[in-house]
Amino acid sequence: MPTASAGTYLFGIVPADVEVDPDARGVGDPPGTVRLVRHGDIAAMVSEIAVDRPLGRPQDLLAHERLLDATVTEVPVLPVRFGAVLTGTDAVVDELLAPNHDELLAALRELDGKAQYVVKSRYVEAAVLGEILAEQPEAARLRAAIRGKSQDATRGERVRLGELITQGIEAKRQVDVRRVVAVCDPYSVSMDVREPAHELDAANLAVLAKTADEQQLVRALDDLAQEWDGRVKIRLLGPLAPYDFVTDLRPEG
Amino acid sequence: MTTAVQQAGGTVDRPSSSSLADVVDTILDKGLVIDAYVRISLVGIELLTIDARIVVASVDTYLRFAEAVNRLDIAQDKAGLPELVGDMEHGGAKHKTKGALQGALEAAGDTVQELVGDRREPERVPRRRRRDEEED
Repeated sequence: MPTASAGTYLFGIVPADVEVDPDARGVGDPPGTVRLVRHGDIAAMVSEIAVDRPLGRPQDLLAHERLLDATVTEVPVLPVRFGAVLTGTDAVVDELLAPNHDELLAALRELDGKAQYVVKSRYVEAAVLGEILAEQPEAARLRAAIRGKSQDATRGERVRLGELITQGIEAKRQVDVRRVVAVCDPYSVSMDVREPAHELDAANLAVLAKTADEQQLVRALDDLAQEWDGRVKIRLLGPLAPYDFVTDLRPEG
Repeated sequence: MTTAVQQAGGTVDRPSSSSLADVVDTILDKGLVIDAYVRISLVGIELLTIDARIVVASVDTYLRFAEAVNRLDIAQDKAGLPELVGDMEHGGAKHKTKGALQGALEAAGDTVQELVGDRREPERVPRRRRRDEEED
């Protein structure tokens, strides 16, 4: 069992023929310098880290993602899940790079020229409530029933109304997710539809796309944002490292 | 950066750097998982918000939505549904003698005037507080 006070934090896998910006900083406190551990045609992006204190401060998460996202704009990268620490450089080579060299290299080649984009969209509350009230007479009736009355006196009606609204949003979400998927599809290599993270979330999805297609993807989403102006707000994150798409690339075990 | 100059809505928002919430959402539980033999730890991670992406439909949610409806500006109602608005205690009583559509329109107008002054409270952001910044 590891008793060492230092470990090697692993960010991701990149092709061996790249350089790391000497100013790049890792995770931990103080953050270590980021360097490459090369083996054959691949390399692990790592930094030294003290293991006697837990990771997970906001700046650790930010540092992890920023380094990987900055990398993907230049070279393909396989992001490793946040928090992976190995016992040292030897372990990186002997236990990770050497035994998995060929499949990691194949995955890097497959990801060359591609990046992840995350589409997040959220309903504008007043607009979506208005839609549901207009579509569902029962909701409109309940609204009238609670109007001007105390919460306690109308608790049953309120719960029922809220339930109808939740179901109404869920139904809209199903339709709208399909729409966002259809809009992104022509520019996507792969897609991962994510679960909603918030009760007003519309569609959230991760898209793996060629960076050369980025402008077209943005334009297509701009058109949708225009169509949904005032109803759904759309955000686009990226280019990001392909966080959602790497677990597929390696067989289990 | 390809971020467009902000116009009056209708474009995709492209933040130039990710917020902490976005980062948590983007990287937690995602990325290549390396073999259990080679890693010391995925342990010792103080998870900030492991429940950040779980939406639980609860009575609290229902009550919050109901209250949001209660406070909803009547002008937000879809036009062309006079029976809806006409049914409301509000417009219904006041404009009983008028045609349904006309009553509806006036009811909407009244309400806008009534409400415009004292409403517009700051938008509620029902985002969970995170116990992050504490031990920087």
